[in-house]
Parts: sequence; structure tokens; C-alpha cells
Amino acid sequence: MQPRRRAPAARWFALAALVLIAAGCTPQSVTEQGRAAYSLYNLFMYIAAVVFVVVSGLVVWSVIRYRRRDDELPTQTHGNNRLELTWTLIPTVIVLVLFVFTMQAQNKELDQSGKADVNITVTAFQWSWRFTYEGTGAEVLGSPGQVPEMVVPVGQTIRIKLISADVVHSFYVPQTLFKRQAIPGTDNFFDLTFEKTGLFHGQCTQFCGLQHADMVYRVRVVTQGEYQSWLAAATRRGAAGQPGT
Amino acid sequence: MTDEAGILLRVSIFGFVAGVVYWFLSYEWLGTVALLLLGAGPGFAGLILVQEQRHRGGTGESRAVALRRLAGIPPQDPPGPEDLGAEDLGVLPLPTIWPLAASLGVAMLFTGLIYGLWLVILGLGLIVYAAWGWLAAVNRENRYGRIQADTEAPSPQSGPVSDPDPHPSSARQPES
Amino acid sequence: MATTELPLPALPEAHHEEPSGGIVDYLTTVDHKKIGLLYIFTAFAVFLAGGLLALLVRWELATPGLQVMGENTYNQVFTMHGTLMIFLFAAQVTTGLGNYLVPLQIGAADVAFPRANAMSYWLYLFGVLIVVSSFFVAGGPAAVAWTAYAPLSTSEFFQGTGMDLWIIGLAVVGVAGILGAVNLVTTIFRMRMPGMTMFRMPLFTWGVLVNQLLILFAFPPLTVVFALLFLERNFGAEFFDPTAGGSPLLYQHIFWFFGHPEVYIIILPIFGIISEVIPVFSRKPLFGYRAMVFAFFGIAALSFGVWAHHMFATGLVYLPYFSIMSLLIGVPTGIKVFNWIGTMWRGSITLSTAMLMALGFIVVFLIGGITGIFLASPPIDFAVNDTYYVVAHFHYIMVGGLLYGMFAGFYFWFPKFTGRRLSERLGRWHFFTFFIGFNMTFFFQFLVGLDGMPRRIADYDIERWTTANVLSTIGAFLTAVSVLIFLWNFFVSIRRGQPAGDDPWEGNSLEWVTSSPPPSHNFHHLPEVHSERPAFDHRHRDNPAFAAAHTDPERNQDRG
Repeated sequence: MQPRRRAPAARWFALAALVLIAAGCTPQSVTEQGRAAYSLYNLFMYIAAVVFVVVSGLVVWSVIRYRRRDDELPTQTHGNNRLELTWTLIPTVIVLVLFVFTMQAQNKELDQSGKADVNITVTAFQWSWRFTYEGTGAEVLGSPGQVPEMVVPVGQTIRIKLISADVVHSFYVPQTLFKRQAIPGTDNFFDLTFEKTGLFHGQCTQFCGLQHADMVYRVRVVTQGEYQSWLAAATRRGAAGQPGT
Repeated sequence: MTDEAGILLRVSIFGFVAGVVYWFLSYEWLGTVALLLLGAGPGFAGLILVQEQRHRGGTGESRAVALRRLAGIPPQDPPGPEDLGAEDLGVLPLPTIWPLAASLGVAMLFTGLIYGLWLVILGLGLIVYAAWGWLAAVNRENRYGRIQADTEAPSPQSGPVSDPDPHPSSARQPES
Repeated sequence: MATTELPLPALPEAHHEEPSGGIVDYLTTVDHKKIGLLYIFTAFAVFLAGGLLALLVRWELATPGLQVMGENTYNQVFTMHGTLMIFLFAAQVTTGLGNYLVPLQIGAADVAFPRANAMSYWLYLFGVLIVVSSFFVAGGPAAVAWTAYAPLSTSEFFQGTGMDLWIIGLAVVGVAGILGAVNLVTTIFRMRMPGMTMFRMPLFTWGVLVNQLLILFAFPPLTVVFALLFLERNFGAEFFDPTAGGSPLLYQHIFWFFGHPEVYIIILPIFGIISEVIPVFSRKPLFGYRAMVFAFFGIAALSFGVWAHHMFATGLVYLPYFSIMSLLIGVPTGIKVFNWIGTMWRGSITLSTAMLMALGFIVVFLIGGITGIFLASPPIDFAVNDTYYVVAHFHYIMVGGLLYGMFAGFYFWFPKFTGRRLSERLGRWHFFTFFIGFNMTFFFQFLVGLDGMPRRIADYDIERWTTANVLSTIGAFLTAVSVLIFLWNFFVSIRRGQPAGDDPWEGNSLEWVTSSPPPSHNFHHLPEVHSERPAFDHRHRDNPAFAAAHTDPERNQDRG
């Protein structure tokens, strides 16, 4: 009987270890706004890992320690009010603390009080995206076969106005740790301030029909100089009636 | 008030409180109406149960004790007369095809909303036919009479010991 | 303890058993036990179909590229997988168990409205058939995800009879659910035997009561939203059309006002099952009976206050309210887990298959529940919602929670239903294969979701997601093997299983006092009920010292 008693324990501790390893697998945010989400996730993760290891440890321990050895009935305890109160109050406190940190991170992430340096209207449609740079003539239009690229400058506040031309879509760039739904009839606003240059994958993440899986786009974050030259070229293209990608 | 009424009224209070708080936090219509209705529904049912209990002469429980119970505080005194949940053991119905027929009628009626009025009418017809059969069966079987259980609960001290054998499979007694 | 001869109804038919097994018998039955079995078998058949669809999904997603099916077919497959599992299996398998067991557990001869009970089942079956018929019409079944958001599901963007059959079939099932709920709630409120106060009912019955109350209050909004959608699709209504003054958000609000309680509808009876199994196999009473009952109601009440946490990403809902409520719902759930551990603590534990399943439940439900806490925080939700993180979260609850609990219930009550035991040896194989297969399927989905893989996509071209998907697919097939092992166990044990007797596990509740299977009117004799463990008391009735200690209110504060 011995091996079987140990095997479940080993399995569970391995699972606990994997869970902890997974904590390192959150992507770092590439935006200023996403940093708050990243720190919050780590806080939750540490608490969650502790809770999981402790509780499943108690389960495993009680199975090992209190395995039936004879026919005698154990003491028929019905409960303990003090214990009930303790394990009601402590989780409530933990949860309230998590709520406070959540609100702080949320307010930081959704803060739109600053000035916007670039205004882009993102139109989601079945099944690609249009990026319209307000105040210029620049526009990028994608299609299911052609992946559109949204070019933006690093370090500046991009204000996105997200609209939908048909059904509900969702704007999601995984490395920003952020997403927002595009709902027909509603204008949704949010800010992104990229902190490093690079090419970031984006995808629609609200099921929107046949080619939902193809509704991919990219965000190319470049230096301010590169952005200005791109913008100039794109404006010229726009003026000539050719929305490029 | 009974435990059942207490449950319904507690859910009702929650619905109303949550609805009001939600309104002043969000000014969002749908959730507010839904939560207030969540308060109204069980509240209505709970009040009916309370009214009915009062009609029957109450549980013999003072208001103070009832409020205590509503708040979830365990009773201080030893438990009183056992609560008799089942007053009317009723009659077990005989097997019947009418529930299946009625369900088929409902399914046809709903599906008719897609395929046309003819199916709706067929479904409706079957429902009416099944309802007739069902009510006839109810009427017929109730002629055996309903059996009223004693409204006084059996007390633990005076339990009649008609058959101390706890294993029904060994000594089956036919009911009559 | 005395045995009381109750004035059971004097029907001439009460002499002999109902003839059992024939088709006509099942078509006309009004016996809650047969109806319960009908529910369970139908729901399990739906489960197998939904599982096959899941295997198709996993097969397609294992590697990048569309190998197995086109995009439209994939969208139909995952839509129907979700539809079958959530709407047509999960709530009904526990309703089936509840139908069979609740009258037994409260000492009643049947439910309050036996004929209406039969009608609920037949409505459910016809609803299933209507939904499944959508596979055979032009255009095939719906392909809008089980949530069927407007405007995607409206006639402007999605044509075809398949979608309308989907709506109609589910509406019929909704009616079945509401009818059944009225029945079971009335039964529990009104038909308890003398001495069976509310606070002496077994936890499984409490779980069913709360679950049916939730159905009563949550299904009507679903019927409403389906009616609105149907009117929009077929009669020109414009509830969800922003150009006509409607709102797509309206759909989401009404849908999730139903949708969130729905997941608690699914899981609450499972909590009840676990609360039956663990005390029996720990040879101790349930720790904190009253707290467990209050926790049920805390969860149920809060479940109505959290719906818009499914809508955080819309940016259009009041975030703090839904966040705090969603975080708080973890507290009563945690109370339950602690009480289960408290039951096992200093107990005398037997690792039967039912107990193994219950323990597996606690571990995987912990993961599912904890990741739910993550999702209750909007900034975290913004990052991981609509990715495989969420898919993993709810599968840990729905597959981990629901299935482990369901199997625990099956292994526990199969002897009562059939008079034979399921093989414990095969049960261990079932458990371990399931544990490994299940975790393999869904754990890696957390990782790939954190990496940004969205859900509901037929294909992906990011190479580094392949490993996790391959592992997940292998796990899925392993899980399927575990289900096959269970089926084998079932078919073998039905014929050649060890005879069980009335009470093979030394159970606590009234169903263990009667024969296996019970007679048509449930009980020939009923013991008196003075605690929440009438069968236990009955077994120890010849030991007065034990009885005195057991009923002493000072030492037993949770006695009702």
C-alpha cells in the first residue's frame, strides 16, 4: 500500500511546482499602462500559489495521516464556530486587499487624463482592421489575406478610438496586457504608451464569424523620427487615394 | 415563520439591497431592474408562505425567536415540536402517456414558429388533447381519495414499534 | 430508535413492483427514479456527443494549419460542443441525480408533481432533438459560439435555419428546466417526512434546492433573450441594432444575467455530492453543516451580482462593483473547501473510487476557482479574457469540477440504483487516467493563454504555441480513454458487479435505509429522523451511550 500513498502526494506537489513555474510565464508589458496589470498579476500569483500549495497540502496530508486503520469510529466532531469564523474572515480580508490593489492598478491603467500625442481611429470589421490617423490623411486598411500594420511612435501617448462596422470584435495586443471590445454603435476610447520599439502581434479576440481566426494585425513601434517619415509617406499615399498597408 | 419562508425572504432582501446599491453605483438600467425583480419574485412567494402559516395558526414561535432564526443565530432553547413538512401525502399517480404527449405538443408548437403556422396549430391541438387526457386521469385517480397525514408529529418517546426489522428486503409487508 | 409505520397511500398497485424495463414502461412512467435515470442516460449521451466534438476541436488545433476541417465547420463544431455541454448536459445530469435522490433523501414517496416531472424530462429530450436536428438542415448548425452574441447571431450576419432551431430547442429546454425547478422546490419545501426539518436535510438535497431556485430565477432571462433574438431574426425586431436605437450590449447584459448563475446551477449540486461522499468515507459527520448551508446561499446570492465580469472588456460596465462581488464569491466557496478538509481531519479515511474522485475534485476545483479570482480583477481580465487562459479556467471548473463530482456521485450511488457495485479496480484506472489526461489537456492552455493565444480560433500561425497544443490534444485523447474505461466498468458491473445490499458504504442519509434499488414507493419502513444523519443513527440505534453523545446539543452545535 505504501507506494500508492506516496504517488498521489508526489503528483500533487509536482503540480504545485508547475503552477509556480507558470508564474514566470506572464509576458512583460510593453506599454506603460500594462505595467500596472503585470505587477497586479504577480501579486495575485504569489498569493494563489501559497493558497494552492497549503490547501492541497492539507488535503494530501489528511489522506495520508488519517487513513483508516481499524473499525473504530473517530470522534464525531460536528464543527467549530471559531474555526469557521477564522476561515471566513481571513479570506475576506485577503480578497478586500486584492480589491484595493486591483482598483489602484485599474485606475492607473485606464487613466486618460494626459494629453494624446497621436489619435488613431481603429475600425474593426469582418474580417480585418482599418487604422485612420486623425488629423492627417494617413490610413491603413487590411483584409483577411493582408495583415495591416499600425505604425506608432515609441514613448508617446496613442489615443485609440475603437469602433466596429458590423459585429462585436475585440482589439487585443497580447504584449500590452490589454484588450477592449469594439461594439457597433459605441465609441470606445483607451490610451497606449509604448515603452519599447518592436513588432507586436495583435488579433481579434471576440468571436466574430467565419474568418475570426484570420483577423490578425501588427503594431510596429518605431522611433519618433521613423514615425514622422512613415506618416509623411502614408499621408501622401492617402492623398493620392491609395490606403496602403 | 418557517425555514422555507425565511430562505425566500432572505433572497428577496438581497435582491432589493443589491439592486438599489447597483443603481446608485452604475445608473445602468438592465441590471438594476433584473436585481429588483430578483427581490420581488421570491419576496412575493415568501410572503405567501408567511401568510399561509399565519392562517394555519403560526409555528408557535415568537417573533423574537423568528427574527433570530432569520439572522442565522442557532436556537437557544431545546427544539420544539418537530416541523411537519408533509401534511398531505397525496396519491401516487399511475403511469400515463399524457406528459409525453403534452411535451411533444409544446415541442411542435415552438418548432412551428420556424416552419409555419400549420405546425403551431398541430402542436396546439396536441397540447389541448393531452391536457384533456391529463386532467381526466387526475380526476379519475383522485376518486381513490387523498390521504391526510396526522397534523401532530409523532413524538420520539412514544414511537410505535410495529416492526423492528430495519431491512425492508427481508420482510415485505403489503400496504393496504 | 423506533420504526414508525407511516400511513403510506393505499393504492391497489402498491402491492407489487411496477414492471420495469420495457419501452412502454419508460414512456409512461411518472416514477421519479425512472425519470431520474432517463435524465442521466440522456445527459450522458449528450456528453459523449459533446466530447466527440471536443476531440475534433483538439485534433484540429494540435498543429498550425487547417488539417481536419474548414473554418466554418470548426466554428460549428466548437459552438455545438459548448451548446451540448453547457445547455444540454451539465445541468441535466445533476437534475437527474436530484430527481432520483431527493425524494429518497427527504423520506418522500415521490416528487410533488410526478406527471409534470415526466413532462419536464420529455421536454428536455425534445429540446435536445430539436437542437441536434440543426446538424441536418441546410447550412448546418449554428456557428456563433454557445454565447451567440448579437449582432453576430442576428439575421443580418448569420442566416440559416440551424440557428433558429438552436434557439427554439434551447427555449424548450429552458421551459423544461423551469417546470422541473417548480417541482423540486415544492417537493423539498412541502414533502419532507415528519422530523425532517430543513436543517436536517442532507447537503445534496440542499445543493439541489439552491440549484433549482437559481434555475427558477435565472432561466427566465435566458428565455427572454432568446425570444428577443428570435423576434429579431424572424419578425424584424431591432432590439440589438444600434442603427435603429437598439443595443448589442443589451444582449450581453441579459445573457450574462442568466449565464453566470448558470455556472453555479451546474456546480452547486456537485458541491452537494462532495459533501455527501467525504463524510461517509471519513466516517465523520460533515464539518460545519450550518456553515455549508449558508455558504450555498452566499454563493447563490452573490452569483446574481457578478454577471458583468464577463463584460469587463467592453469598457462599458461599472468595474468596481462587479470586481468586488466576483472576488467575494471566493469566500463562501473557500469555506466549503475548508469544511471538507475539516471533515477529513482526524477522520478514518477510505480511498474508494468515489472518495478519490472527490479528492481529485478538490484539487482541480482549487485551480479553477483560484484562476477565477484572477479573472475577477479587471486589469488581469483585460490581459487574459477571451484567451485560452479563460478556456482553461472554466474547463477546470466544468470538466474538473463537474465531471469529478459527477463520477464521485456515480460510483457512490450506482449500488443504490442497481443493487451492484462498480468495480473498484477499474475505478482506480478510470481515476488515474482521468487525472493525468485532464490536467494534461487543460494545464498547458493556461500557459498558451498567458502567451496571448485567443480562443475560438480555427487556426493559428504562431509556431511556439504548437507544443502546448500538441500536449493538450494528447491529454484530450487520454481523457477520452478514461471515459471509455468508465463505460466498460459500467457495462461489466451492471451484469456481474458485486451485489451491494442496502448500505454498502455505511451512508448517512435516508436512501441507504431502503433497498437497492428502492421499491416503487421508495420505503417500506422509515426510521425516525432526529439528526442530519438518519441512516447513521439507525445503524447505531442499539448503542444508547453513543446516541446520547451524538445528539447532545452542547457538543453538536450544528444540529438542526
